[in-house]
Amino acid sequence: MKGLLEHMGIEPGRLHFSWISSAESTKFVDVVSQVTESVKALGPAQNFIKREPKVA
Amino acid sequence: MRDLKIAKTDWAKGVEKLFGPYRVFGPKKEGLFHNFARLEKGEAPDFSCKNTRLSAKGLIYPQTEKMFEYTLDPNKPDHHVHKEPVKDYSPMAVLGIRPCDAKAFTLVKLNFDTPEYKDPYWIKNYAAATFVGLACDAPCHACFCTSAGTGPYDTAGLDVLLADAGDFFLAKVLTEKGEKLVAAAGWAGAGDAGAFEAKAKAAGDKVVSKVNTAKLAGKVTNDLHAAPFWEDLAFACINCGTCTYLCPTCWCFDIQDEVCGTEGCRLKNWDSCMYPLFTMHGTGHNPRGEKAQRVRQRFMHKLKYFVDKYGAGIHCVGCGRCVTACPVNIDIRRVAEIMNGYEPGKDCAV
Amino acid sequence: MNAMTDKIRQIARRLLEEGKVDMVVGFRKGTVPMMSEPCFIKDSARVDALVWDGNCGINLANYLTRRKERMAVVAKGCDTRNIVTHIIENQIRREQVYIIGVPCQGMIDKRKVKNLADGEVLSVEEKDGKVVVTAGGGEKSFDRTALLQDNCAICHHKNPALSDELAGELVRENPDVDRYEDVRKVEAMGAAEKWKFFDELLSTCIRCYACRNACPLCYCPTCFVDESKPQWVGKGQDPTDTRTFHFLRAFHCAGRCTDCGSCERACPMGIPVRQFTKKLEKDAKELFGWEAGMTLDARPPLDTFRPDDPGAFIK
Repeated sequence: MKGLLEHMGIEPGRLHFSWISSAESTKFVDVVSQVTESVKALGPAQNFIKREPKVA
Repeated sequence: MRDLKIAKTDWAKGVEKLFGPYRVFGPKKEGLFHNFARLEKGEAPDFSCKNTRLSAKGLIYPQTEKMFEYTLDPNKPDHHVHKEPVKDYSPMAVLGIRPCDAKAFTLVKLNFDTPEYKDPYWIKNYAAATFVGLACDAPCHACFCTSAGTGPYDTAGLDVLLADAGDFFLAKVLTEKGEKLVAAAGWAGAGDAGAFEAKAKAAGDKVVSKVNTAKLAGKVTNDLHAAPFWEDLAFACINCGTCTYLCPTCWCFDIQDEVCGTEGCRLKNWDSCMYPLFTMHGTGHNPRGEKAQRVRQRFMHKLKYFVDKYGAGIHCVGCGRCVTACPVNIDIRRVAEIMNGYEPGKDCAV
Repeated sequence: MNAMTDKIRQIARRLLEEGKVDMVVGFRKGTVPMMSEPCFIKDSARVDALVWDGNCGINLANYLTRRKERMAVVAKGCDTRNIVTHIIENQIRREQVYIIGVPCQGMIDKRKVKNLADGEVLSVEEKDGKVVVTAGGGEKSFDRTALLQDNCAICHHKNPALSDELAGELVRENPDVDRYEDVRKVEAMGAAEKWKFFDELLSTCIRCYACRNACPLCYCPTCFVDESKPQWVGKGQDPTDTRTFHFLRAFHCAGRCTDCGSCERACPMGIPVRQFTKKLEKDAKELFGWEAGMTLDARPPLDTFRPDDPGAFIK
């Protein structure tokens, strides 16, 4: 899914997958920090956003 | 009605003058096919295609159209009130519409502009439009307009009809709206009614595809409905909406609300009787849950229910779009022949 | 009449007469040029309606699900791969279908013919590797290979992956042809450019769902776009909704798509919708060494876990 989303133009770094056990609190903090850092660096998403439907 | 002759150079100059008094629409190549599109000043309608891929219906009846807007924000004074959005109903000039598509509007009007029910969006758009038709001198092989109550030079639903005669167009100005457009464009040269008629006759003879529909009105609805041929006719159908979306006469729509946060709007979208969701009830029951039932509905509506209800012929103008674009070759001409020839109890060759 | 048509009729007649199957699913001659219509035959007296030519591009595996009959089906390479996929996904039982395998020379792209022909196409005849196109402006002859559908031109599996009987001699496969040149071109673009590429690709989409409905993989009782409780996607012409439909349709085909080209063939607007599915098909091949529908004996990569599954995307 990540591959296809990025193939159609979603920026790499916007979508993240991780597997974290409930016991891995340190990993959880690390991953969340990385995700927020990487998404903040990209700025707000411009694509795949719909506020008001576009009509012909 | 009067006849005009418009040199092609004057045609181009006249079209230029229409920008301003009119929003101008005409065939334009988009991707592989031509479709009707709003033209910008300096753009000329492209008359090189036999017909547009999508019919002209979307000009009057867009695939998605906003009916209302509203806000759910209680801090705004007009919250929870449906407001009609601002829309442009200023005059539009539709250049190069084929007679079949113009005729189709007259059939759709039977449904959207009746004494009891009026669709304000359709009516306002239709009233804003002036249709400048382009007669067909080389009808396609899948066209059967002359069997569907119209023809390559039919003037029904048109305000002006043009016939291409090489360096010039022969034109018939048919209505008051047409006179206004012709005046705005500055076309005034006297025409030749005789030459126009001769071209019309020649074009009509070129429509090679004929379909018999005369006996449809006399058939018993329930006989056709219960006829054994539907399973075979429907087998190939994949239930996509190609036929209905390309059709100039299909008029069914669905109404949807879309809300983002506190702001919302109500949309009118084209819908298709080919889709299971079209008839899905709130209970989860679907009276047309099977493919064959949906295929039967489409053809029964076009070729029987409409015929009986309005007495205006079949609900089809023979433009041939569904015939050529159907991915699996379901051909309304064949279906019409089978329905027209069907006698209960007799073997029907499918 | 060609030898393949002849053989298909013979086999169909025999199967129906012997009562081995209740119906034969195949193609009959269409009413317009370059169209053959999927049909079924239950009566052996009617087998002469069956034809085979370069216009049988619709995937007949699509017509086999949710039926009770014992069926014979005329199936080219990709169709058989989708039949295999149906069997391993439990949509049909192996013993329910008798596969009349057709080694395939590729299907003719009707849009290419229309673009090359001089005027309206009136008839198209195939003979000895040539295609003779008669159009309003005259007759032209083309090499058949120049008119193939894009997916057929890069096909690696022309011969049936599974069949009970063949309707012709096996044809030579072309395993060296580069299948993914177009995908790599998109992969090399930046994110913004990719977004724009697909925006333009979808700009003429009318949401008729012909691509979805022509696809044998799309057999869900209710498609996510048709759900109303909850509604996942808007039903209008908003580009975000259109993109969502195409993206998710493709994603549902991951590891299952055989690149049969039915979707693209069916599209009334001529949109190259395979640009979505091909990426996934390429990934399935490169990440899992998987080509869908080649065997009944292995589970598809996305319904099994293996410890060595590629996991570079996961932190």
